[in-house]
Amino acid sequence: MSLADDLDDPLPPRLDWALWRRFLDRAVALPGPLAGVLAGGLGLALIESLRPLIVAAMIDEAAREGWSDRLSMLLGGWILLALGFAVMVWLFIEAAGRLGSGLAFRLREDAFAKLQELPFAYFDRRPVGWLLSRITSDCARVSGMAPWVILDLGWATLLMATSAAAMLWLDAGLALWVLVIVPPLAVTSRFFTRRMVETSRRIRRTNSMMTAFLNEAIAGVRTTKSLVREDAAGREFGDLASTMERWSVRNARQGAIYAPLLSTIGAAGAAIALWQGGVAVGEEALSIGELVAFCQYALLFVFPIQDLAQRFADLLGGQSAAERIEALLRAPVEIADSPAVRARIETQAARPQAGRAADGGLPRIARIDLERVSFRYERPAQDDADAPPGSRPPRADPPWIVRDLSLAIEPGQSIALVGPTGGGKTTLASLIARFYEPQQGRILLDGVDVRERSLAWLCSQLGVVQQTPWLFNDSIWANVRFGKLAASDAEVAMALVTSGAERFVATLPGGGEFVVGEGGERLSLGQRQLVSLSRAILADPAVLILDEATSSVDTETERAIQGAIDRLLRGRISIVIAHRLSTVRRVDRILFVEAGRIVEDGPHDALMAITDGRYRRLYLRQFAEERSISALAASDSEEPAGDGVRRTIPPA
Amino acid sequence: MPDPVPTLPPPPTSRVRLLWNLLEGERPRYAAAIGCTLGAAIFGYGTPLAVQAVLDGVLDPAGDPSRLAGSARITLELLGGREFLAGHLWVAGVFVAVTAVLAGLCLFGRGFLAASASQRSIRRLRERLHQHLLRLPSAFFRRSESGDLLQRLTSDVETVQNFLGNQVVEMGRSIALFLAALPLMLATDLRLTGLSVVLLPPILAFAVLYFRRVRRTFLLKDEAEGRLTARAQENLTGIRVVRAFDRGEFERERFRAANEAHRRLDRRLFGHFAVFWSVSDLACLVQMAIVLAAGLHGVTNRTLSVGDFAFFLVAVNLWLWPMRMLGRILADLGKATVAMDRLQEILSEREDPDPSPTAVAPRGSSRATASSPSPRLEFEQVCFRHAPDARPALDGVSFVVEPGETVALVGASGSGKSTLIDLLLRLDDPTAGRILIDGTDIAALPRREVRRKVASVLQQPFLYSRSIRDNVAIGRGAVEHAADAEVLAAASIAAIHETVESFSEGYATAIGERGITLSGGQRQRLAIARAVLRDAPVLVLDDALSAVDTETERRILEAMRMRIGRRTTIVVAHRLSTLEVADRIVVLERGRVVDVGTPRELRGRAGLYRRLWEIQGEVEREALAGLAGGADPSSAPEAGTGAGP
Repeated sequence: MSLADDLDDPLPPRLDWALWRRFLDRAVALPGPLAGVLAGGLGLALIESLRPLIVAAMIDEAAREGWSDRLSMLLGGWILLALGFAVMVWLFIEAAGRLGSGLAFRLREDAFAKLQELPFAYFDRRPVGWLLSRITSDCARVSGMAPWVILDLGWATLLMATSAAAMLWLDAGLALWVLVIVPPLAVTSRFFTRRMVETSRRIRRTNSMMTAFLNEAIAGVRTTKSLVREDAAGREFGDLASTMERWSVRNARQGAIYAPLLSTIGAAGAAIALWQGGVAVGEEALSIGELVAFCQYALLFVFPIQDLAQRFADLLGGQSAAERIEALLRAPVEIADSPAVRARIETQAARPQAGRAADGGLPRIARIDLERVSFRYERPAQDDADAPPGSRPPRADPPWIVRDLSLAIEPGQSIALVGPTGGGKTTLASLIARFYEPQQGRILLDGVDVRERSLAWLCSQLGVVQQTPWLFNDSIWANVRFGKLAASDAEVAMALVTSGAERFVATLPGGGEFVVGEGGERLSLGQRQLVSLSRAILADPAVLILDEATSSVDTETERAIQGAIDRLLRGRISIVIAHRLSTVRRVDRILFVEAGRIVEDGPHDALMAITDGRYRRLYLRQFAEERSISALAASDSEEPAGDGVRRTIPPA
Repeated sequence: MPDPVPTLPPPPTSRVRLLWNLLEGERPRYAAAIGCTLGAAIFGYGTPLAVQAVLDGVLDPAGDPSRLAGSARITLELLGGREFLAGHLWVAGVFVAVTAVLAGLCLFGRGFLAASASQRSIRRLRERLHQHLLRLPSAFFRRSESGDLLQRLTSDVETVQNFLGNQVVEMGRSIALFLAALPLMLATDLRLTGLSVVLLPPILAFAVLYFRRVRRTFLLKDEAEGRLTARAQENLTGIRVVRAFDRGEFERERFRAANEAHRRLDRRLFGHFAVFWSVSDLACLVQMAIVLAAGLHGVTNRTLSVGDFAFFLVAVNLWLWPMRMLGRILADLGKATVAMDRLQEILSEREDPDPSPTAVAPRGSSRATASSPSPRLEFEQVCFRHAPDARPALDGVSFVVEPGETVALVGASGSGKSTLIDLLLRLDDPTAGRILIDGTDIAALPRREVRRKVASVLQQPFLYSRSIRDNVAIGRGAVEHAADAEVLAAASIAAIHETVESFSEGYATAIGERGITLSGGQRQRLAIARAVLRDAPVLVLDDALSAVDTETERRILEAMRMRIGRRTTIVVAHRLSTLEVADRIVVLERGRVVDVGTPRELRGRAGLYRRLWEIQGEVEREALAGLAGGADPSSAPEAGTGAGP
């Protein structure tokens, strides 16, 4: 429902022809439907401008007493035109459907593929709903109007040209009289469509704000009730509803002036034709049939002008949607295989070397080295219109998140990253996974720069388990199988057993076929973590990157999770952003990361032995706080201290 | 607007009445709009009438005024008679122009009146729905699906609006155009009139039947669109998992399938449109051909004048094409009544019952009772079921929270902790038993009075999609009731001030879909700030700091006590560190209180709390072992339990 974003930007002052050209090129790539739309439009215009001529001939012929063959021929011709008309109508609608849906299909396909390639940095600043509306409403908007723009460009221009030509052919003088109405028609259309495009944007914007408001009213009804703000919310919604009413009425009023005004101008043309034409008929310079034809042409002129104005307004209104799609399709893929890597992949595919990965390198990661790595999040370019306004970071240069950091990870080593929030733990893990690339220094896999290896291969080596596990709205089995698509049922079942998830899965209706709901909402947080760990177990990656969850789960699930993590840490390099006591106790090596640097490095016991060490302090404060509390509680009296504040930790 | 009687789905006959009731207060405008529609239709025939009069009355050399059709004769009279008009043909032009302007004015009146009448009715409907929604009981939201509810509040309202504002008007236009033409045509030529409406019934019937038949395609296409969106949404939300397992290609295939299905249905829909418009256009053209042939025949026979023929051609052209639209609208008419039904279902849901304002003390004095800074809470044999046939969520729960006391609720999930809090907030009412605040049964107090006494923070706090400042200030009900300084102070207590300051737009930073995404801990801290600002006599923290580290939690709780003093507090928590600082702990199991006591007392008794504590003890032993320099943790089995009494 985020149709609203294109409404934040002001209406573009003029059409960006270069931009629309690129969409036209996409339409040209669908030559069949494009030709169908154009042929339909041109055919309709021809038929419509011929019809009054035939009717005129009929009237004049009929005026000569008696039914004649010529009359039959004219009638037959008229019926043929009618048939042709129906066929053209069918042709252009059918072709418009193919063109529109084909454009939408390809735009979506390209946009989706692009999104699968863009670096994580791209997603950091763009909420899902914002990206989603690129694929849904923006694509629908641009591709939905494209056939009509193309159709009307053909139909309207040709219809006006042929109608004018027909009139000029009938009587040049009278034609000029009637054509006087064209400038006022054009001016009126331009005046009103611009204004109506603006009011309908306001309506859509208010409407989507109202939808968001109602959505929140439903989702947050308990909070709203608890805060006793029903009346305040009612006032706010009343304001929105009134705004909606105001803009809707204004838009309707513009339409109520615009459409009658156009037909009045058209009628004025007919009036001129009747008056001047009548005089001409009196002077026998014009036949009666021709006079009727003139009146019809005058009325006919209203529609193409009205339609052209409307398409112009459509383009103007849809321009920001088009810009956003273009921005997405052209967003730079900062992290991609280099040409050299792509060449090696081709070589390996053509002449496979045994025991080598797809890019010709070693098949499995054994050791990882970081050499003087520094990283900070990039400040987006000044002209980065391709990001929602709220997400733009401050103007100042962002600070370094990882600074001049070196690290050697030995084969099979398990590592826990600990330290304060914002210290750089997650970023460090993301750099190793090549979700981001460092600005300085390099990362080596078995001595080879990570940029010299294929991205797909690297992904196949990594198992990443997120803090908030994301599950697909599918069965538990399908979610686990996501870790290894080729896995047999037995392998999937085994992974569930190994992780300890099997026990709760067995209690679910349908067992492994239980569908977990959006994001896994039908499972508890702990259960989701277990499924996500099963997925990683099945994937059996060379390198595991695990962001432990902090949230509390019940004891039994906690034990199962511990067991699953235990199982995962074995036999591979593992890097854990650790929150669990049991995990830090179990890993080979703990890195205390603070302000982008490793300040302490060693096994638990060694770090605990550093008097006043940072890890030791953290450990005592965070992991072992419970001990202090219970010790305090045991010695405390029944009543709290007089100031009403109970100290949970004795002052140091 | 409480609707005290829950009505069953209305019988079909009253559906129209539902729509009629919506127009309450707007009916004169609506009637005026209908009048304008008729006027516009009548003036619309000015052009063909003028053509008829000029052709037959002036330009036909053999014309005999006595043989003129009735309508042409009147028009001719109106324009000053044959001789005058022959000399002043511009008068006919002026007639055309004047009728066109009059028709235009009527069209404007119709458009403006119909829009303002329908938009006003719809605004009132929207406000009514919104207010009603906020007063519906929790049970309603438990059994409704939020997507469906939102769909009703948005698209169904739009359908009704479209019906009132556009479809009725459009139908009125088609019918008025036809009705206005009918006497004119009849006055001109009876036989030709008959022939010119011959295809009207099949054209209408075709439209209605065809759109009924293809309605399924519309539904299917909407569903396909929904699946396409869902697929993309899932991929984008889970993009990190997709990347982590290198499943981009797999995902592209899945998306392509949804995209392809959508394209196919979109094309099929257009295929239906193509068939409909070409067939109905052909039918209309055949109708025109019939008029043409019969008219030409009449003209050649001299039974029809050229002017009458021209009049028929233009007039039929004027009303025939809108008739085709009429069929389309008729086919869609069902949608509006279905939408209205679906809205009525919501409107006839019973709102949360409250004691009538007269039964309780007036608002001013009930505030006076709320001024007790720290009331006593009593739960007396409280029972609750979420549904009549569900197992009891609470089964005779009794305990007391003394003024200023902090009571912690502990228990496995599903033991009834959160339900208890819902009942205290009167978001639900107990099926049996009572809850008393300072000796008053809360069932006797208006819900909003009860809620004013409680500041609550829920486990997954709901934040509104607006600025951070507003999200805190909203604790006062209306955002303008809190000064910036107060917001800042509350945020500092909740240890979120510095985080907020680090955002580029500080407190003005928008949260949610169109702004930034906050972490769980940040959300919880904002909700705490909101509760601090609310400053109610009872404080409820439902696992409110579970995503905040223990150190920060301790700082926040201390700062809160410094600021708002010792309030009567109920805490739901899993963390031992939180439970330990409570004055008393109530242990819940399957909706029953199984133990109550101070943390110290509970540690001494076998039970859930002791078990939790022992697990924690194991952790501590490991910690001690670490400190001792690698001693075997299992060698100190008494370290945890040893601290007990």
